[in-house]
Amino acid sequence: MIGGRLLALMEQLGGMSVLAARMVWGLVTLRADRTEFWRNMYRVGVKSFPVVAVTAVLVGAITVIQTGQVVAEFGATSLVGWGTSFATLREIGPILIGLMFSGRVGANNTAELGTMVVTEQVDALRALAINPIDFLLAPRYLAIIIMMFMLTIIGNLMALLAAAGTAYVLLGVDMRLYYASFAELIELWDFFSGIIKAVGFGSAIALVSCYFGINTSGGAVGVGRAVNSAVVASAVSIFVLDFLLSAMLP
Amino acid sequence: MTTGHAMIELHNVTKYHERERVLDNVSLVVDEGQMLGLVGPGGSGKTLLLKVLCGLVKPDSGSVLIDGVDITRISPVELSDVRKRIGMLFQNYALFDFLNVEDNIAFPLRRAGGMGEREILERVNELLERVNLPGINYQFPNELSGGMKKRVTFARAVIAKPPIIFYDDPTMGLDPVTSSKIFIMLEEFQRTQRTTSICITHDLLGARDICDEWAMIDEGRLVFRGDLSAVRASSDPFVTEFWDGAL
Repeated sequence: MIGGRLLALMEQLGGMSVLAARMVWGLVTLRADRTEFWRNMYRVGVKSFPVVAVTAVLVGAITVIQTGQVVAEFGATSLVGWGTSFATLREIGPILIGLMFSGRVGANNTAELGTMVVTEQVDALRALAINPIDFLLAPRYLAIIIMMFMLTIIGNLMALLAAAGTAYVLLGVDMRLYYASFAELIELWDFFSGIIKAVGFGSAIALVSCYFGINTSGGAVGVGRAVNSAVVASAVSIFVLDFLLSAMLP
Repeated sequence: MTTGHAMIELHNVTKYHERERVLDNVSLVVDEGQMLGLVGPGGSGKTLLLKVLCGLVKPDSGSVLIDGVDITRISPVELSDVRKRIGMLFQNYALFDFLNVEDNIAFPLRRAGGMGEREILERVNELLERVNLPGINYQFPNELSGGMKKRVTFARAVIAKPPIIFYDDPTMGLDPVTSSKIFIMLEEFQRTQRTTSICITHDLLGARDICDEWAMIDEGRLVFRGDLSAVRASSDPFVTEFWDGAL
């Protein structure tokens, strides 16, 4: 039983590695479809903006609410800017935006690809002498990574603004004090560390969602199963990557 | 009218699915310009056979020759070249959800390149007229009825004027009037373009007069091959029962 599951997991990891190599090869050799790439940039990025914006604003506000009580107790309000920015940029921002992105974009990507498989649209592409990896998967892979990167930058900015606003309203921390604490104590690397994680999460979401989508079988039930597997695997990948990157990055 | 040149050849093709033999030593030859009707009970391996013929499924043994090229022994790039000469009408339409009707039909020509956009659009509009669906260029597949989808799929399959076309149950689930229109279109296309085709159908009455010959498949085995007079003359109970009422 355990051996069988381990074998299945190894098979999936192997399949993902091969798929990743093929998608990257399609991108490197410029065979990936450009129209599909731009269509997915819009679909993945522009359409995800509202949900990422709401998540980011709430992340900023919640961080202040959670730390506010302790900060006020110790009279360390001058450190609010540093504390919330550090947590948001390095950890909470990328993780929560990644999870929202996985739920919205990853699940949608798997469902769309899975439906295309079970309705023979992928077979139709192959019958028309078109490689589905170059036409369908590689453009999505790149679009998801780029958009996760860009939305994390925008999301971080929005979260910091929301945190500053919440600190002012709830704790009476002056905006200039908040900014001074941020500017003095936050290093550029704190920002880059979060961005590197975001790119890693984007890559994992893109690969996992494409893999489960293109390997869908068993009709509508199979699509549901594939989406479920993709969402769970994406979330697990995000936390595993976060652990590894947190340990590796200074 | 056929030329006697074998365009499609299957030699001893066998395919297993989870230890079950789903195609059993199938051999079949279709001459250039010939239209072969492929019939048999549901789940007998007809669709799988078409997928083997256009290289979507690789057989476990045997050879598949398209115009003399064995597609089981060529590279993916060479297979791609062979596929450019094949049109396929899928049973479940297989229209691309994210493209409108015009883009769906134009897709094979745009991907192939070498033709101007104006010429492509002219060809799309001409085909839409021909399938009695003028003016639906900007509708999406989910806005179309089953009959309309079949006709759009037909237009996409034939737009590049491929010398070989496979039709997988082109009238499945359609009303008799729409079915009749589709068979008229197939017949007209066959007559004007002289393509080599295989047509899976369950509508024996509708397809009876447009196919040059018939092949019957049962449990993955080819059990009959012949023209309509051979069908009439057959004493095989499987053949006679299947054709009962359609002759």
